[in-house]
Amino acid sequence: MNKSSAPRQSLGELLPKLVVAPTFVVAVIFIYGFMLMNAWLSFSSSRMLPKYDWAGFIQYEKLFANDRWWVAAENLFIFGVLFIVICLLLGLFMAIFLDQKIRAEGAIRTIYLYPMALSFIVTGTAWKWILNPELGIQRLVREMGFESFTFDWLVNTDMAIYTVVIAGVWQSSGFVMALCLAGLRGVDDNIIKAAKVDGASMPLIYRKIIIPGLRPVFFSAFIILTHIAIKSFDLIIALTGGGPGFATDVPATFMYTFSFTRGQIGLGSAASMMMLMAVIAIIVPYLYSELREKNNEH
Amino acid sequence: MHALKIQNIEKIYGKVKVLKGIDLEIQPGQFLILVGPSGCGKSTLLNMIAGLEPVSKGNIFIGDRDVTHLDPKDRDIAMVFQSYALYPNMTVRQNIEFGLTIRKTEKSEQKKIVEKVSKLLQIEPLLDRKPKQLSGGQRQRVAMGRALARDPSIFLFDEPLSNLDAKLRVEMRGEIKELHQREGTTIVYVTHDQIEAMTLGDVIAVMKDGEIQQFGPPQDIYDNPRNQFIASFMGSPSMNFIPCQAEKVNGVIQISLESGNEKVKVPIKQNIKGLEAYADKSIILGIRPEQITQQGEDKPDSAKLNCDVELIEPTGPDTLVTVRINGVKTVCRIHPTAESKVDKLMPLLLDMSKVVFFDPDTQERVY
Amino acid sequence: MNIKRVLIYSILGFAALIYLLPLVVMVITSLKDLDEIRSGTLLSMPQALNFDSWDKAWGAACTGVSCEGLKGYFWNSVLIVVPAVIISTVIGALNGYVLTKWKFRGSTLFFGMLLIGTMIPFQVVLLPMARMLGFLGLAGTTSGLIMVHIIYGLAFTTLFFRNYYISIPSELVNAARIDGAGFWMIFHRIILPLSIPIIVVSVIWQFTQIWNDFLFGVVYSSGDSQPITVALNNLVNTSTGVKEYNVDMAAAIIAALPTLFVYIVAGKYFVKGLTAGAVKG
Repeated sequence: MNKSSAPRQSLGELLPKLVVAPTFVVAVIFIYGFMLMNAWLSFSSSRMLPKYDWAGFIQYEKLFANDRWWVAAENLFIFGVLFIVICLLLGLFMAIFLDQKIRAEGAIRTIYLYPMALSFIVTGTAWKWILNPELGIQRLVREMGFESFTFDWLVNTDMAIYTVVIAGVWQSSGFVMALCLAGLRGVDDNIIKAAKVDGASMPLIYRKIIIPGLRPVFFSAFIILTHIAIKSFDLIIALTGGGPGFATDVPATFMYTFSFTRGQIGLGSAASMMMLMAVIAIIVPYLYSELREKNNEH
Repeated sequence: MHALKIQNIEKIYGKVKVLKGIDLEIQPGQFLILVGPSGCGKSTLLNMIAGLEPVSKGNIFIGDRDVTHLDPKDRDIAMVFQSYALYPNMTVRQNIEFGLTIRKTEKSEQKKIVEKVSKLLQIEPLLDRKPKQLSGGQRQRVAMGRALARDPSIFLFDEPLSNLDAKLRVEMRGEIKELHQREGTTIVYVTHDQIEAMTLGDVIAVMKDGEIQQFGPPQDIYDNPRNQFIASFMGSPSMNFIPCQAEKVNGVIQISLESGNEKVKVPIKQNIKGLEAYADKSIILGIRPEQITQQGEDKPDSAKLNCDVELIEPTGPDTLVTVRINGVKTVCRIHPTAESKVDKLMPLLLDMSKVVFFDPDTQERVY
Repeated sequence: MNIKRVLIYSILGFAALIYLLPLVVMVITSLKDLDEIRSGTLLSMPQALNFDSWDKAWGAACTGVSCEGLKGYFWNSVLIVVPAVIISTVIGALNGYVLTKWKFRGSTLFFGMLLIGTMIPFQVVLLPMARMLGFLGLAGTTSGLIMVHIIYGLAFTTLFFRNYYISIPSELVNAARIDGAGFWMIFHRIILPLSIPIIVVSVIWQFTQIWNDFLFGVVYSSGDSQPITVALNNLVNTSTGVKEYNVDMAAAIIAALPTLFVYIVAGKYFVKGLTAGAVKG
């Protein structure tokens, strides 16, 4: 009797594991295995073809000695900071305005958000045309009578990166707005009522109660925007192609160019490892704080 | 022959022992209540009886079958859940039929069963509705119907009334008891509500920290709690625990009680041998609110004490008066017509014939 | 209506205009001919509704070497998107079901592992994946792209379903187990009928992600197997003679239409997917 009642792994217990097993295998190979392989490549002497040898930090030394990489890193910094700050501010203010019991709110929200449904390639193509100095906005404003108006950022080495910011903000700020609006709607009505009873004015309530309450929303929006910024590739390819010259290169385009068109696989993988580090530097504190909050709940 | 036998059951999560060796046995037709504060392991135990949680150690028998490692579906049980767990995408009828369909009961037979059950629970008009169109009480009924339809050897109830409002809860409580009496079903019922435990159970297992503290008929547990935890958990308002000094005078143990300026010495006439050991020591007197009443006709084994009234709470049938005896707040249940006023002295009668004593250190009962 | 509200409405209206403008410019440019483009401005209206550039973008524009328009690539994208969306959603649903209702030792860790998959920059897997596709003989094929999209979409779909199923009470599953239902029966009869909203979210999210993808497309496809985003980029950058902005714009709109359409008919779910997928991602 004791034998028959001993715990055993029946098919019923095994089945759930079997169902997730393929995904597990895929994750282990295609996420973690590949990350390791890529790390190895970045320490190899690979050029045109991947070579799995050990060359130490050569690729990283080459990377850090490469002017173009530093341009890319600086561009990512400029683009990232502006893109994130502007998106957050615009998103927050539009959400607050939209939260004032606006008629046609649904329609307005739809308009703010539709760019998010587009491919960055489409966005880039459209803005490339709009920002075109010959026939675009510059022409439009000149035709309106401002003959000396110049707006040639797209072809201006110093300014081209800011056109990426414009197109990026256009595409993503509506999304921040949607996040903030959801956050605003989640604020407990009773708290606002209590503040009103205490005699606080609406702007004060927003400043002291509601906006601080949106902290977690800002936080996730920040993470997502950072993520978009670090990965941004398609927008730059379509809008500026990394140009003029390599004035608007970012790490993602740098990595692509060196890995796939210049046959510098080792260098490309080193660049991608740097991108991974950047993401980790931002995600880890985020995960840490998330987990800490969850633990406090218990 | 037992209907359910639980032998030395343990549940271990990682390093935490949630159940520490439970033994239980009930007869066919008995209504067993598992009661205790949250986290005591009562729901875990129920889930293990149901087969929803694996058993770490020990055995479970339903009838004479060892079901310890059987799937829930092979245990011949039915369960009513706290949230009712009605399948939201199915009508009431489909909910009741679901288990029958899986067991490949004949269609005509299914129809008969649904008819019988819905009549019994008066849910015939609801059969074609979806769960979200039902009120809380109706859902509760359907959940019970689903369990009844299966005609299992044991019914398991997991806090089935806790999501209902107070009035409905009392109503459904009565119905469950009636159903049990009429159908003679064997039931294991988990609750944290001691009133439900008292009113419904044939036998009660009071649990705490993964152990059964006491197992027995409700009245026995109420009258003879084994320790201070059980005494305070069963009964509302809870039993009063008054620390007092014991001394031996002329071979009889006396305890001293004081309230305000008055101090009395009360001899203990009950035959409690263990009390001898507490002479000239302190001991905890356990006395239920209904054992402290207004003074009227004298009772043979009682004490009188004038107490300062601190709080008066009328409940209708009687009034709860809080006084202070030996420095602790003490609740008394007095007749609503008895005169009482806050900050005034009130003459009270303490019925000593049923009082119990606890050791101040171990909190165990002194017999 | 007081002055404050007038101000709020004008700000909102102005912003809406700015957001709409690029789309408007795209549409009117695509309807003009080249002379009108050269003589007018961004906002000048076309003289007549002229769909020539649409025809050309669809069937005759040059995308690199070949000059057959976008149509072949449009169908490529459809061919990639449909199986990738269906398969990744089905697997995601099953994973979510197991991760919430049939937890086992290590299942939470497994979920955490997957979550990280939603956060890595794909650049770190590009090179090893290229090698793997070559190894499997799938380099430069649509099947290869489908596989890539399924694999890197799984983390997201699993996340969606897991977060949705976690709010379905486990008691429901327990009740069904006691009623005698097994793993598949519970999924099929109890869970699936409750999953419609999250299936919609997952399908829409995967659809837009895969349709709009450029990175995987440009790296892993070649010639005839390219998806529409890659073809659009080639079309815009192919400089043979005159720059035809009207054709570029028509092509861009064609590439955007499917996702725009989905957004307009199912916007509510689209937003849900964005927030759900992104809050954690």
